[in-house]
Amino acid sequence: MPPVKRAPRRRRPTAADSRRRRKVCQFCDEKAEPIDYKNVAMLRKFVSDKGKIRTRRVTGNCGIHQRAVARAVKNAREMALLPYVQTRA
Amino acid sequence: MRSYELMIIHRPEMAETDVAGQVAEVEKAIAESGSVISRDLWGKRRFAYEIDHLHEGHYSVVSFEAELELVDRLDRALHLSDAVMRHKIVRRGAA
Repeated sequence: MPPVKRAPRRRRPTAADSRRRRKVCQFCDEKAEPIDYKNVAMLRKFVSDKGKIRTRRVTGNCGIHQRAVARAVKNAREMALLPYVQTRA
Repeated sequence: MRSYELMIIHRPEMAETDVAGQVAEVEKAIAESGSVISRDLWGKRRFAYEIDHLHEGHYSVVSFEAELELVDRLDRALHLSDAVMRHKIVRRGAA
């Protein structure tokens, strides 16, 4: 018997999919402010409340800008502008 | 010539005027073979974590243009300085 060719099974879009928006990198916008390790208020948005760097899944940054943010956070940590670890006060 | 940005943390017990004097000296050293673009004295700022049992320091940022040779010399001098707790030199606009 010849093998039956089947179309790849695809997940049916759910109601949750239509509500979910695709995140776009906010730094790819030309009007965006440059990534700077001195801008602590901006970098705060990219670290968790424990002080860890947020993942791309969470931030929605593209590769180039996620690496730039990570580098900025690490530079800021060296200059004691951001904590390496945030212990709950 | 390349553009750099230097951040220095001076010891907290120093007077504001002494910090300004130290920064002026650094600028003088830069001006010998480069040029200072801007200077920003942040004043005293709390650290995000304790450094050598201290909790704050005087921050200042100097933008300048210079050759690599000067940057290397400056970096070494700042490492040796007792008045400087930490410093960092980065390329400007390399974000």
